[in-house]
Amino acid sequence: MQVIKFEFLKLLKKSRGWLGPILVFILIMIAYPLTVEVSDVELKQSFFSILWIAALLVIMLATEDIFLEDFNDGTLEQYAILQKNLSFIIGSKVFVYWLVIGVPISIIGTIFCVGTTSQTAFGYQILPVLLVSTYIFMNVFSFGNALSLTKGSVLGTLVTLPLLLPILIILGKVVVAINFDLNYSGFLLLLLGILSIIIMIIPMIISYIIRAHLE
Amino acid sequence: MNALVKAQNLSYKINDKKLFQGISFELLKGKALHIQGENGSGKTTLLRMVCGLTKPTKGDLITLTDKEVCFIGHKNAIKQYLNVEDNLALMNLNNHHDLQKYLSVFDLDKSLDINIANLSFGQQKKIALLRLFLNRSDLLILDEPCVGLDTNSQEILVDFLKKELANGKGIIYSSHIFLDFDSDSLGI
Amino acid sequence: MFQVNRAYPYIFYLSLITYLLSIFWGLFLTPEDFVQGNSYRIIYLHVPASFISQSLYLAMAIASAVYLIWKVKLSVYLVRSIAPIGAVTTFIALISGSIWGIPTWGTWWVWDARIVSTLILFIMYLGLISLHDSFNNNEKADKFLSILVLVGSVNIPIIKMSVEWWSTLHQPASITLSEKPAIDLVMLYPLFGSIIGFTGLIACLVILSSKLQIIKREKNKSWVKDYV
Repeated sequence: MQVIKFEFLKLLKKSRGWLGPILVFILIMIAYPLTVEVSDVELKQSFFSILWIAALLVIMLATEDIFLEDFNDGTLEQYAILQKNLSFIIGSKVFVYWLVIGVPISIIGTIFCVGTTSQTAFGYQILPVLLVSTYIFMNVFSFGNALSLTKGSVLGTLVTLPLLLPILIILGKVVVAINFDLNYSGFLLLLLGILSIIIMIIPMIISYIIRAHLE
Repeated sequence: MNALVKAQNLSYKINDKKLFQGISFELLKGKALHIQGENGSGKTTLLRMVCGLTKPTKGDLITLTDKEVCFIGHKNAIKQYLNVEDNLALMNLNNHHDLQKYLSVFDLDKSLDINIANLSFGQQKKIALLRLFLNRSDLLILDEPCVGLDTNSQEILVDFLKKELANGKGIIYSSHIFLDFDSDSLGI
Repeated sequence: MFQVNRAYPYIFYLSLITYLLSIFWGLFLTPEDFVQGNSYRIIYLHVPASFISQSLYLAMAIASAVYLIWKVKLSVYLVRSIAPIGAVTTFIALISGSIWGIPTWGTWWVWDARIVSTLILFIMYLGLISLHDSFNNNEKADKFLSILVLVGSVNIPIIKMSVEWWSTLHQPASITLSEKPAIDLVMLYPLFGSIIGFTGLIACLVILSSKLQIIKREKNKSWVKDYV
């Protein structure tokens, strides 16, 4: 619990780190309607692809220096020496980032979704999908940024984005499922299943990578 | 068994370039070991090896302590954008019974709510050194602990290290500034 | 290495001859396709290239696992030398597919499942190369490279499945192990020949390139100096 508290303290004191991505997300969601003719049909048609892509890019921005600061100031090496369980710390860190950035983005995205489609029922179905998918994005981007720790986030993104394409495809299918009232809960369960595997494995891989960086 | 660290025939290579080779030493309880060498001879690497961060390319290294190792490196591991109090909490030192004593020794007790970024380099080093003064381990590993410290603080550091040696702890350190206490030396 | 050196010319000439013969057979001795006319003949480049591009990734994945588990340096040299070759073969597969697409589908690019997954494979190869090249410490770079290859190898079948699920226009694979081939035998023999020949040629390229890697990375060792 203490680890989570510390990560909260570190992230919340750094408003650029958490407020920035959320504001960028809002800006993208506002910018999107400006790029199309103001007719409801067109807005709704591609709203969801903008929503997923915006969430993806914003999570990418948010995780850009998730480990970099702790690496540069020596916190990570102290963790690696003192704590046997580095992967637990990393898991908590990603969790805190999701709680502070991913959850607000999901809620804001849902609000925009209800506003655009003017159907409240849509929102109830989109919110859990957004919550789960932002957590998946968080984990996978953290992996990429751990690999490219000192080499900038472009490399990390290049390495990670291909890994996330299946999730984007599932998200596209989810929208179809909601629209036609098909197997929505099946898709949600699929995402949850993917998430649970990712939560188990990714922190272990990241801690291996970080130990290699510290060497 | 009195040994805290046993090293046999350690060597380390980066990209097939040898940094050092064939280093053996043994650190007993209550002893200090001063690692000496030129810049770039691998002192930091050797110290990080003892901490378990870096693996030797060849050789055996056994650390016989069940407690955590206390490591003071070049990097301070303190957060610039947090104040002193929060940083102490992050280091898990805020409830230590000796905290007040060392804060006043280092004249930091008035600056608890100041952001680290506004402190001088030496003051930041002192905060990092609190990790050492309030340690809970029997093996202390110090990489150039004196950089940025004034003479007064260096004396406090030496007195503290002497006391720790008397308590049976082991110290491995590297320093270009002479520290006046009884230690073996190892050149690499 | 020395055994490989001795075997190398045999592999090279055998596969070169096999490939040239199969292409000759495929281009001049087989009949026109009923639907696609002569344009289908690009199959003798397209199919071997796309087959190789995926097999090379599999080979890299195995070599990476060997490196991470047993720390065999040779296997990571192999990974590093395969990556650019994989990228090139994937590129050949993409380009030849595009060229084939113009007469058959009337367009050089469609958002089709297998084309997209090949494109992703291509990007992944490039990602691997740039990851390895951005670290100065070779051992670190080797570790990260093999981790990424392994994670990617888990993901490639997932990408393939999901992309196929997303949309499919491409004709189903012409040759599968379990089913009767959906292609006439007359065209099948030269196709097999071209696959085998192409594989052999790429294998030679891999051997050459890993030789270069070994010499580059072990250049301070005395045996390399003797060899060179």
